[in-house]
Amino acid sequence: MSAEPTTIRSLDDPTIMVETPATIYDAIPPYPARTEREAEFYALRDGEMLINLGPQHPSTHGVLRVVLRIDGERVVDLDPVLGYLHRGVEKICENGDWHHAISNCDPLEYIASMFSEAMPVLAAEKLLDLEVPRRADYIRVLCWELNRIASHALFVGWLALDLGGLTPILYGFAERDEIVEMLAALTGQRLLFNYLRIGGVNGDLNHDFMSRLGEWMSRALVRIEEQQKLLNQNEIFIRRTKGLGVVSADIARRTLLSGPVLRATGVPFDVRRAHPYSVYPELEFDIPVRSEGDSYARYLLHYDEIKQSIGIIDQVLAKMPDGPIMAKIPRLLRIPPGRAYVAIESPRGQYSCYGVSDGSDQPFRLRIHDPSFFNLQAVGMMMPGNLVADTMAIMASLDPIMGGVDK
Amino acid sequence: MTVADVAALMTTLHDDPDLRFLILSDLAGVDTGTTMQVVYHLWSDTTPDWLRVIAEGLPREDPRIPSVTFLWNGAEWAEREAYDMFGIIFEGNRDLRRIYMPPDYQSFPLRKDFLLADDAARSPGQGVRHMEQTFMPAESGAQPALRQGTGAGTTDALPMTTDALAASTPDTADASQRAPT
Repeated sequence: MSAEPTTIRSLDDPTIMVETPATIYDAIPPYPARTEREAEFYALRDGEMLINLGPQHPSTHGVLRVVLRIDGERVVDLDPVLGYLHRGVEKICENGDWHHAISNCDPLEYIASMFSEAMPVLAAEKLLDLEVPRRADYIRVLCWELNRIASHALFVGWLALDLGGLTPILYGFAERDEIVEMLAALTGQRLLFNYLRIGGVNGDLNHDFMSRLGEWMSRALVRIEEQQKLLNQNEIFIRRTKGLGVVSADIARRTLLSGPVLRATGVPFDVRRAHPYSVYPELEFDIPVRSEGDSYARYLLHYDEIKQSIGIIDQVLAKMPDGPIMAKIPRLLRIPPGRAYVAIESPRGQYSCYGVSDGSDQPFRLRIHDPSFFNLQAVGMMMPGNLVADTMAIMASLDPIMGGVDK
Repeated sequence: MTVADVAALMTTLHDDPDLRFLILSDLAGVDTGTTMQVVYHLWSDTTPDWLRVIAEGLPREDPRIPSVTFLWNGAEWAEREAYDMFGIIFEGNRDLRRIYMPPDYQSFPLRKDFLLADDAARSPGQGVRHMEQTFMPAESGAQPALRQGTGAGTTDALPMTTDALAASTPDTADASQRAPT
C-alpha cells in the first residue's frame, strides 16, 4: 500500500483529473501479485475501476466471488475467486472407506447429487471388475434422468430470475419439487440421496415412488411444453440472452467445456454416447445440439434435453427387468490395487472420477472432475465486452454449482 | 521419456492426424507417498479411444512439469488446483496461484504427509489425533508426534512427514500456545 498520490478522473466531472491517495486502488489485493496474470489484472488503466461481486451476491448461485474490471458499464476483464465453499472432499474421501466416499461426494453437485454420488461407486465397481445387476442399472438410469430433469427445470427458473423474471422459477421449483418428493419416496432424502451403492442401489422401487412417477409422467411433456411458452417468445428474455456469452466450438473444446454449454456450440458430444456406461447403449435417445453458442441456445438446449430424458424414462420403465438390485459383495470391502477412470454425463456435463486404490478399504486417491469447475472457467472469455448487468445472465446460463466447483 | 517431454508428447497426441486426442478429459495430481505424479486422461473426439498419460517420479521437494495450457487453456484451473493441493509447479501456466486455499496458506492439503486431525483410521493404535499434535511450531524443533508406535514400515512409506510439516506450520504463535501435553 503506497501513500504516493495518483491522478484519477474526477467522479463528478470525467474531464477533470484530480489527485488522490493511491491507497484505494492499491488496497486490492492486500498482498503482492503472485503471478504475471494477477499483476496484469490489477494494474488498472485510465478510467477503469474494480467492482466486487460476491461472495454473498444472490445471483452468483452460491459463494462465488468475481472481481470485475470495468470501464464505464463495460466489463474489461474479470477474475473469479473460488474456494469459499472448499471442504476438501477429496481429502476426506481418502480418510474414510469407499462406502463413506458415496455420502461425502453427495453434496458436491447438490442440485443433482445422484450424479456426484455415482463417482466413487462407479470407480470402485470398475476396480473390482464387478458386474452390476441389470435391474440396479436400470434403476440408476431412471434416477439419473429424473434428477437431470429436476436440475434442468431449476436452471431455466434461475436464468429467468437473474434476468428479472419471477414466474419461471415458480414453475421450475414446482416441477423439481414433484421429482424430489418422488425420489424421497424411493431414497428417503430430498436433496442428498445417498442411494447408489457399490454393486447396486439401496432399496428397490416401491409403490409410493411408482405411483408418483406415473402421475408425473402422465403430464410431464404437456407441462414442459407449457413452460416453454413462458420464455421462448419473451422479447425481454430473448434480448438479454441472444448473442450474449457466445463461445465458438473450437474455443469450447480448448477450454474443456462440456455438457449443454459445449453442445450449444454445435459439438454433439455427450458422454452417454461417446463413452457409453451403464445401460445407455440399450436406450434410444438423441443428442440435441444448437450451433449459436450463446445464452439463448443454452437455454433452449435444456428444454430439448428434458424431452429426451422423458423419452429415456419411458423406455426404462418399459424395459425394467426383474431380479436382484445388489451384486454380492463382501461386507468388508477391500478394493484391489489399481487405477480406474470413469465418466458420466451429468446435467452440467462430463462428471468423471479417477480412483486409485492401494488394496485397502480406503481410496488412495479419488480425484473428482466437476463440469461446473471447467464450465465456469469460460466466463473469462465470455464476459469481456458485455455490460455489468449481463454478467449475471451469462453466469446463470453456464449453470455452475459452487458445491462442485469448490469441492 | 522424461517429464520435461510432456509438452511435446501432448502436442503430438493432440495434433497428429492419426491420433487426434483433442479432449483433455481430466488432469489430476497424485501423491504416491514417495513421489508426485500428474495424470492426464485424453479422449479422442471421433472414436471412443481414450488414453491415460502418467507423468511419474516428480520429486516431492520441487515437483516441476511443463504446463499444457498452450494446448488446452481450460487446463489452467486444473493446474492451479493441482498446484494448490500438491504443490506441483506447472511451468508455462501464467496464472499459477492458489485456487481454493487462501493466498497466505503454506501447506499442500492433498499431500500424503498432510494428516487430518482425526485421522484415526490411518494410524492404528493412535486413536484420535489432536490438532496440536498434528501441527507443531517450527521454532520449537520438536518432532511431530505422528505415527509413533504404529509398527515398522510406516515412516518409510512417508519419508517427508516431519520435514514438510515443520516447514508448513500454518500458525506458529497460536500453535505454541497450545503445546501438546
